[in-house]
Amino acid sequence: MATQLRESNRPNPAALVRPDAVHRSVYTDPDIFQLEMERIFGRAWMYLAHQSEMKEPGDYVVRHIGSQAVILTRGKEGEVSAIFNRCTHRGATLCAFDKGSAPHGHQCPYHGWMFNADGTLRFVSWPKNYDGVLDKKDFAIQQVRLEEYRGFLFGNLRGDAAPPLVEFLGHMKSSIDDLVDRSPAGELECGQYVLRHYYRANWKMTFENLNDTIHPGFAHSASVVSAKAVANEVGGPGAIVPTLGMMLANGKPIQFFQDLDMVTAPGGHSYIGGHMGADYSPDTGDGYTRSLIEYHGAEKAREVLSVDRHLTLLYPSSFWHARYQTIRIIRPVRHDLTEMIGFVFRLKGAPEETYRNAIEYCTGANSAASPVISDDLEIYERCLLGNQSDAREWIPTSRGLHEDREQTNSFTRMPATSEAYIRNQFAAWADYMGQA
Amino acid sequence: MTDLVERFVHHEARLLDERRYDEWTALFLSDARYWVPVAPDQPGPEAGPSHFHDDIQVLKARCHRLANPRAFGAEPAPRTAHVVSGVVWEEGEAGEIIVSSSQIMLEYRNRGGFEADQRIFGGRVTHRLRQAEGAWRIAYKRIDLINAEGPFNAMLAPL
Repeated sequence: MATQLRESNRPNPAALVRPDAVHRSVYTDPDIFQLEMERIFGRAWMYLAHQSEMKEPGDYVVRHIGSQAVILTRGKEGEVSAIFNRCTHRGATLCAFDKGSAPHGHQCPYHGWMFNADGTLRFVSWPKNYDGVLDKKDFAIQQVRLEEYRGFLFGNLRGDAAPPLVEFLGHMKSSIDDLVDRSPAGELECGQYVLRHYYRANWKMTFENLNDTIHPGFAHSASVVSAKAVANEVGGPGAIVPTLGMMLANGKPIQFFQDLDMVTAPGGHSYIGGHMGADYSPDTGDGYTRSLIEYHGAEKAREVLSVDRHLTLLYPSSFWHARYQTIRIIRPVRHDLTEMIGFVFRLKGAPEETYRNAIEYCTGANSAASPVISDDLEIYERCLLGNQSDAREWIPTSRGLHEDREQTNSFTRMPATSEAYIRNQFAAWADYMGQA
Repeated sequence: MTDLVERFVHHEARLLDERRYDEWTALFLSDARYWVPVAPDQPGPEAGPSHFHDDIQVLKARCHRLANPRAFGAEPAPRTAHVVSGVVWEEGEAGEIIVSSSQIMLEYRNRGGFEADQRIFGGRVTHRLRQAEGAWRIAYKRIDLINAEGPFNAMLAPL
């Protein structure tokens, strides 16, 4: 067994994934994690930032592609460039904060080398030492290829060898459209305050949990019980605040999710149908719906509001929740340590209440103190602890293996109770990891 | 008055440490808010998401959950010890008083006994207290953690 799973000193990824199971080491082996950084995070298009986060020339944010820190800066001409957060001299990081303004460029704190937004080296200190020695052109910071889709900036470490972003997104473009089209001005603005949580387990746990519709009735049962108890105290489910509604939603009967659709697409992406029903409106006064009709026209507005997706998983970078204008990105730190960052977007032109609802949702869904996520984090960590045991090598991913409802070239549809999205993730995983 | 305010803040911390959550939530007025911002400069809970932004319903549901053995994030339950210091107060509006204190909360969950099982939360705590039915109650509690930006692992015990 040991020789099958590793080729010489490196793991052999092809031997770790079966059509209905995955080997436990994909969660526990630091060498696998290292290979994932090279072969998955080094190749996939990663959602990094929204245009609105860098408003003025010089504004920057620092994000991660796997374990690589990348600075995205709006340059003098208005375009955004991405460069590694590493001085080309001694290697010190240029930015100490995760966002800020550097209108004159990024200066290294060590010897004062100064870089433009696009990574070109503007000057070195005491240049006469370098006369005839150093050509500044050779010491530009390497750029990361960026592409934009509707205001969202994605980065790819493969540079020109990467396929176009739209090809990578494929059918999942429609989930990004779903978010942007909900703005009554056709525009989003990323909120400046973000929520960060972490857990001591593998990054893939989040991808495999967020569209798992069987676990809420078990892992989150305490939240259901407590929300019911408070609902009874305050006069029934009609009188509760949205966060309690979110807790209660975990108690939906499994048949509800069996009837709901899940959609998987090539590349490891997936989404499941919504829980709230198509008549959901993110404000109570219907001002939102009116402003959307004004912008799109009645027919298009109806079409936009009829899209009902709970959560889109864009593998391996991000989690998109169009109906609550929330995006979460993942930062794998080690095989056993993962950070999640949650952003809330304002739908420009929508009533203020719409933004407040989104904030409340993001707080309830993404805070480390969330009555829901806090139990998930515990479960992720228990899975890491359990999977360190070699009592059993293979983890089944077989739920709903033969229940597909529809197959097209761009997506496959099945019941939302299926583990098809996990199998789909590991198909993409094996594909990325199998290419040397 | 200073004595009374100090006793109140220490008493509240003691209720948390002894997990007397029913008595703790009873200290809060029905329109109270419990807020833990995600940044020192966050102007208000409407400006962005928060670690905690609870009204009395969420606060009660949170505490009710902690008594449930199926709240797995609290299995085993967190033990806490609050250290309260530097309590100062001033008069606020409409008979309210505004209390400021420095607090450190040690938290421990026995999940194997290694160092990551114990955490330290700390920062500046602001209470707005109002009198109702002859007793001081909490209208507002805000905790500015020194590491407000996080990231945080699961937080089950109220701060």
